Amino acid sequence: MLFNSLTFVVFFAIVVTAYWSMRSWNARKNLLVVASYIFYGAWNPPFGALLFSTTAMDFWLGARIAKAKGRHARRAWLIASVCMNLSMLGFFKYGNFLLQNFQWLLARLGIIYQPPHLDILLPVGISFYTFHSLSYTLDVYRGVLQPTKSLRDFVLAVSFFPQLVAGPIVRAGDFLPQLVTPPGLRAGQFLWGLLLMTLGLFEKIVLADTMLSGSADRIFSYPGPLVAFDSWLGVMAFAGQIFFDFAGYSICAIGAALCLGFHLKDNFRFPYAAIGFSDFWRRWHISLSTFLRDYLYIPLGGNQVRPVRAAINLVIVMFLGGLWHGAAWTFVVWGLLHGSYLVIERVIRVFFEDAAWANNVATRLLAGFATYAAVSIAWVFFRASDFTIATRMLRGMFGGHPHGDAILSTREILQIGIVIACMILVHWALRESNIETAVTRLPRWLVTTAWAVMACAIILTQGSSNAFIYFQF
Amino acid sequence: MPSSTSNFKRKLRLPRLFFAKPSEITPRDYERPIPQVPWRGITVIVVLIVIGATSAWEFYCRSIGYGPTLNDNEDLWTMTRRRVKPESVVIIGDSRAWFDVDLDELQKGLGKRPVQLAMGGSCAYPVLADLVHDESFHGTIICSVVPRLFVTPPGAPPMERAEKVVRRFHTQTPAQRASQYLGMPLEEHVAFLKQEELTLDELLKRLPIPNRASALVPPRLPPYFGTLDRERRSRMIEECARSGKLQSTVQQIWLPLFSPPPLPTYIPKDKFMAKMKQATEQRFNDVAAAVQKLRARGGKIVFVRFPLSGELKKLEDRITPRTGIWDRVIKDTAAPGIYYEDFPELSEFNCPESSHLSAGDSVEFSKRLVPHLRKALQL
Repeated sequence: MLFNSLTFVVFFAIVVTAYWSMRSWNARKNLLVVASYIFYGAWNPPFGALLFSTTAMDFWLGARIAKAKGRHARRAWLIASVCMNLSMLGFFKYGNFLLQNFQWLLARLGIIYQPPHLDILLPVGISFYTFHSLSYTLDVYRGVLQPTKSLRDFVLAVSFFPQLVAGPIVRAGDFLPQLVTPPGLRAGQFLWGLLLMTLGLFEKIVLADTMLSGSADRIFSYPGPLVAFDSWLGVMAFAGQIFFDFAGYSICAIGAALCLGFHLKDNFRFPYAAIGFSDFWRRWHISLSTFLRDYLYIPLGGNQVRPVRAAINLVIVMFLGGLWHGAAWTFVVWGLLHGSYLVIERVIRVFFEDAAWANNVATRLLAGFATYAAVSIAWVFFRASDFTIATRMLRGMFGGHPHGDAILSTREILQIGIVIACMILVHWALRESNIETAVTRLPRWLVTTAWAVMACAIILTQGSSNAFIYFQF
Repeated sequence: MPSSTSNFKRKLRLPRLFFAKPSEITPRDYERPIPQVPWRGITVIVVLIVIGATSAWEFYCRSIGYGPTLNDNEDLWTMTRRRVKPESVVIIGDSRAWFDVDLDELQKGLGKRPVQLAMGGSCAYPVLADLVHDESFHGTIICSVVPRLFVTPPGAPPMERAEKVVRRFHTQTPAQRASQYLGMPLEEHVAFLKQEELTLDELLKRLPIPNRASALVPPRLPPYFGTLDRERRSRMIEECARSGKLQSTVQQIWLPLFSPPPLPTYIPKDKFMAKMKQATEQRFNDVAAAVQKLRARGGKIVFVRFPLSGELKKLEDRITPRTGIWDRVIKDTAAPGIYYEDFPELSEFNCPESSHLSAGDSVEFSKRLVPHLRKALQL
């Protein structure tokens, strides 16, 4: 079920009404479990069984880890959980990709092998709920979380519908404590949740889909060479589109959860005002970057190893981060590019961190601009469906097609220019702040007008919108 | 020794997992900040503004001629496609079969109520292929042929439009189905709900901003000139059937839409033309194969060329003469064809906006078409 659909509006209204009408906390949690499975099943009902089986297995394995005596036994149960989750992900998401690469490898060795094409339907949001569930056994193993005795609570933690299919990746350790006592609604919490949902939908439907996606699609699907201006605009349009699409979903999820009394952490913190790449990853898809940091980078040794080893760890983490986004080498290159950026940034820091000029305003602005440009270049690999398109785009961006085509209309150029300029200004204005502080400080009439304009613009788009990009991950 | 009561409790342990009391997990330690503003007052004003603005927009849209009607989206098409039974009569193709055919008249004449699967600006082939691919289907297909649309190459909008609806039919989720059922009553009562015309995106596209010479801007689509019901029966509105601004606007819009687009600059002309020719040949072969497969299991098909008038007729006759595509389709498939110009009773209609019949004429045309269909289908 999409947040930007009429079905969700009706579904959410019914769930919220029923939820706050119930007195029993257990009944409310039962309602949320049922609602979450309806939300998920509305896409493809049989995959609800897959979701439940993953969850039930991790619930059981979490209990086994907690009860196991001795380090080896605990580790064995954890490995069972990791293998179960990753094999599920591997089969559904990477099955065909692995087969194709195996075929390619054999062909290099002179062996002709025609693998069967597995007609596998990717369960929506599998990458997200696998990580929701996996975080539980990992945290129980690390000793930072007591295993829950309630399967129902754990089922709800994994499948809670606002964050189920496209994040944020809410760790069981952050969600289970919220199920201990019934939540109350603080003054304004419900309405603030609704405003956040409006903002999230506005970002998705109006800014991502209406203002930017058409131009990005046109540029990336154009089969001919493009001039630098149009190529850069296409990439900037995609950079904006993916931010508004994904951040919009996260804000909707946070708002919907707030309406039900739950508190989810921020998933984005004005990432296009990042100064440097480590700063970017502290602001972009925070729930994924912290997941990879805590469960992969730190266990690999983190910063507590020799610099070369730490650099290799970074590249490994970003390589896997890229692969998590999709079963294609373009995503891997995107991840490796970010890994390289992070390594280069570390080297630069070693030499210049203490220099006086490194912290003045002009340098910071320049570094911010360079970060944005480098992140945009990496997006080319994320968006392009193959390396031919990516190469053509990069060549166009760096002046390789001086006589290429200029296909964007003036309206599209204006739309991209205005939206991206406003987005970057807002990100810089709020980079040290948050949206709650901004709303508190803004004049009341401005908050009212902005909310009304966003709601009217959403109505004007009439739901003629696309699925969220991150659903496919 | 455990008592019978404790045994009973032990037996119930597994279900208790689901309803266990809270574990030792400690309560929440994270709460999002809530901005301290007068939320109730702000919300009331926002609701009033949104209701006021939406009502004003609705009144304005009605005042300039828009009326409530269903949107022809992939979910409505899918809903209609689900009505196809193994022996159904199915109408496929472009907007001429969509506007010009009256389902009541065809039901009277053919004995079965046809299922309307034709679609504005689309190619018939993907739907034909899908019906043929459905092994249970052995009914009758009435296929409209607008030559340029019929042989449109893969990747072009008319093909993508048809492929999109077929894909949706096979992959529609329960949520999409529910949204369609919830949306229809709204669309039937609210005039500004026009997904192809009055969305923010479409309104922005209409801004009169001059473009660079090389900009690729798709030709404009016609404004609202027809209504659609739940069976996907389309009818031209009265304002378009009468001489006037709307009618002449639509007439002028068809001409660039039906003219060949400029050749791409990134591929040599002869190479491009060879590619197009190859794609057209492929289409002829695919259609012939599909028709053969349909007939092999007892299905029937008839191709129909619907009326057109004015400048558009001159344009189509020039760029896609009958001898080119129509004759080839009939020859390759050996299927019956009804070309409106061959029959005086079918060719005396005038299309008010050059491409489609008025709602009234579509009923009379359908009545006159029935005997030809019966003959072609040997009923």
